[in-house]
Amino acid sequence: MAKVKVATGILQGCFGCHMALLDLHEDLIPLLVAIDIVRSPINDVKEVPEVDLGILDGAICNTENEAVAKEFRLKSKKILALGTCACMGGINGLRNLHDLDTVLKRSYVKNESTVEGFIPTSPDIPQMLPHVKALHQVIDVDYALPGCPPTPAMIMGALLDIINNREIKIPSKNLCHECTRTHEQMYIPRREFVTDSVTNIMELDEINEERCFLEQGVLCMGPATREGCEARCVKGNTPCRGCMGPGPDALEQGAKMINALASVLPAGGLMFMEDVVGVGYRYSLPVSIYPHREAK
Amino acid sequence: MNIGLFLSEGDGDISKVVDVKYIAGEHTNGVTARVLGNLHSAASHSAIVQEVKDKKLEGVVLAGESPLFYKKTRNGELLLSLLYAAGINPNRVVITNLREQVSMPHRSAPNEATLKAKVLVDVSIEKVRLSKEVDLIEVSPRRAVTVIGTTAAGLFAAQRLLARNFQVDFIDREEVRDLKNLKDQVLPTLAAIRENPNARFHISKITDFYGYAGNFRINLEGDKRLRAGGVIVAIGDDLKFTSELYPFLRLERDERGFFKTLSSATAVTETVQQGIFLIPEQQSLALSIAMADSAAMSCDALLSRNAIRHELFVSQVDEAVCGGCGTCIKTCIFRAAEIDPAKKLSSTNIKRCVGCGNCVSACPTGARDQISASTKYYLSAIKILASYKPPTGAKLLYVICEGCGYPSLDYAGTTGLEYPTGVMPLSVRCAGRLDTQFILEAFKEGFSGVVICKCKDDHCLNIVGNTDLDRRANLFRAVLSSRGISPDRLRIFGVSDCDGASCVTSAVEFMNYLKTMGRA
Repeated sequence: MAKVKVATGILQGCFGCHMALLDLHEDLIPLLVAIDIVRSPINDVKEVPEVDLGILDGAICNTENEAVAKEFRLKSKKILALGTCACMGGINGLRNLHDLDTVLKRSYVKNESTVEGFIPTSPDIPQMLPHVKALHQVIDVDYALPGCPPTPAMIMGALLDIINNREIKIPSKNLCHECTRTHEQMYIPRREFVTDSVTNIMELDEINEERCFLEQGVLCMGPATREGCEARCVKGNTPCRGCMGPGPDALEQGAKMINALASVLPAGGLMFMEDVVGVGYRYSLPVSIYPHREAK
Repeated sequence: MNIGLFLSEGDGDISKVVDVKYIAGEHTNGVTARVLGNLHSAASHSAIVQEVKDKKLEGVVLAGESPLFYKKTRNGELLLSLLYAAGINPNRVVITNLREQVSMPHRSAPNEATLKAKVLVDVSIEKVRLSKEVDLIEVSPRRAVTVIGTTAAGLFAAQRLLARNFQVDFIDREEVRDLKNLKDQVLPTLAAIRENPNARFHISKITDFYGYAGNFRINLEGDKRLRAGGVIVAIGDDLKFTSELYPFLRLERDERGFFKTLSSATAVTETVQQGIFLIPEQQSLALSIAMADSAAMSCDALLSRNAIRHELFVSQVDEAVCGGCGTCIKTCIFRAAEIDPAKKLSSTNIKRCVGCGNCVSACPTGARDQISASTKYYLSAIKILASYKPPTGAKLLYVICEGCGYPSLDYAGTTGLEYPTGVMPLSVRCAGRLDTQFILEAFKEGFSGVVICKCKDDHCLNIVGNTDLDRRANLFRAVLSSRGISPDRLRIFGVSDCDGASCVTSAVEFMNYLKTMGRA
């Protein structure tokens, strides 16, 4: 069987998804029997050759990202959006809460470490787009695998599915299904909040490693987040931040979390949380129903 | 799906404002449209049923009177039962309100009224298209009635039922009460009831109440469990008892806080809950006896059927999506959401679920959905409603709860109030069903403002739907601000079921406000 030709590229991201691919370690060796990575940031080939599969990680933030994405689409039979940034815009997307001018000024002018700053205008520098977008909002995408980053096992599974012409399998339940923490309050059918306050995790004297975070008054995005990450954060005694994005039947991760919390945690406490929006839409703002701040 | 659209001229009342023939002509694609003089005469009923058979219709849109007409009048009820008997699933009969919410309040703007009516009809057609068939169950009614309140009226109703061999359980907070100066007239009846082996008295508190017409389950303090086919409420003017019973019985209350019947003209003892009858406080003993007879007769008529059919308009769980987080368990005040201990997934107890949809809003995964009106339908409805372009003024998504906002807006129409056509009504079962995702969708689709009419503080038929909506919407204001949408563009009003005038003034005032903001 001829090897599947693969090109990988990075848009606006942190290279974390490529690192996760490398984290396959020795499992990469059998994979490389079936696929041939002809272009990637690792072998540093600049051109995108004609390939069977183009893998892109990162969001679309500037004109260069757009150009690379379009070139990949042109040269690839199939495109895999790898990781949350490519699928949903990811953390880059939070930029959409501000207009571009504010963002540029904050970065280059009104910046604590800058004296006499200016916004660079050289034509050699890619121009920032007004709003961050997910990959599918710019080019057609055949497969999408969320995760920040997806686990090496998820990447392996997806690649094997794609090589074998199968739909890739992404779990459809929420993280609570995968989480092994115990419920004491959440399963009691009584209309009362599971705690009497909302607490920042740093403020807890002791974090119970076995009990549901919400029941400890700590905001955990698990209920509104797709499973599949092996619940790595909650196993590390850190609440879920929602990087896998919303499940298949929810449109808005942030709105859905707000709906849910209204009957679980004291709303009064939530109101005073510093950043309800940042927490709810940390990874998925560009795919929200209302994906950016309305222009003035 | 073959869909039949039946447009009513309202005997001229609707057609003099809304060009129903034009709307009929606009629907050709898979929809059989027909204009009738009215939808409630015997001739219209048979014409509609004939059309269902001839065209093999699977869904029907009835565009004419308000849905409340079908709830409150025998004629309306009859047409629905004829359609069900002709094989149309109850979830596929959708009613478009062209009279109370279009032709009446927009009588001075016939062209606009017609365009708006077309949009409302489109929403109904979409609802039929997206509807799933609702499952039906049949309950063999128990020949037992629980009478709440040992008042004169309660005793007289019980006497009739005992005579027809029903088991009667009385529940009250105090021994026989309220006989005032009627002792001579009532005491013999009381004595006879006490002698009857089929009657029992319980001076106790209700701790749990669930089930449906034909088979209610009532638990009392001290672990006493009663079962009843029907319930008659005869508590007179005891306001404290009304408040105590309200979370269990979920009956509508008037502005003074007393329970009320469906209609003082056409359904004098029936209530919003099938199988629960109410004898309101009367001026005289004669009227009390007449109402007691009416309640006993209605109850007997219901429980003497071989079977009572119930449509399971409940919340459904998609097990492929549910992860067992427990949010719905905490949300549901009726304890209808349960965790299946083996699967660790949520399920619905159909005996307890009232179908309010609060858990559907709360479900963080979207695994829960309401069979009567799915999330997909609401998103689609908001898009269609947004397609109407009012000639002047702001466009409002006017979300009305079936318990309060809907009848209020109807009331505005019937009392002759006019308001701008830009008020686009979207009916929800309960304010608790309003998922904040819909608010964002509405602004995306170009509505200038969103109004949510919810029941006043302790008048929500689903007990907590209105407060849950408040919490959600108020938290959600931060999300609106973050998108540059002024949170003032979302307004929540607490209304009763006959606040027509305040609905209209607040809508007009809001539209003016939006205009000053440059949103009209």
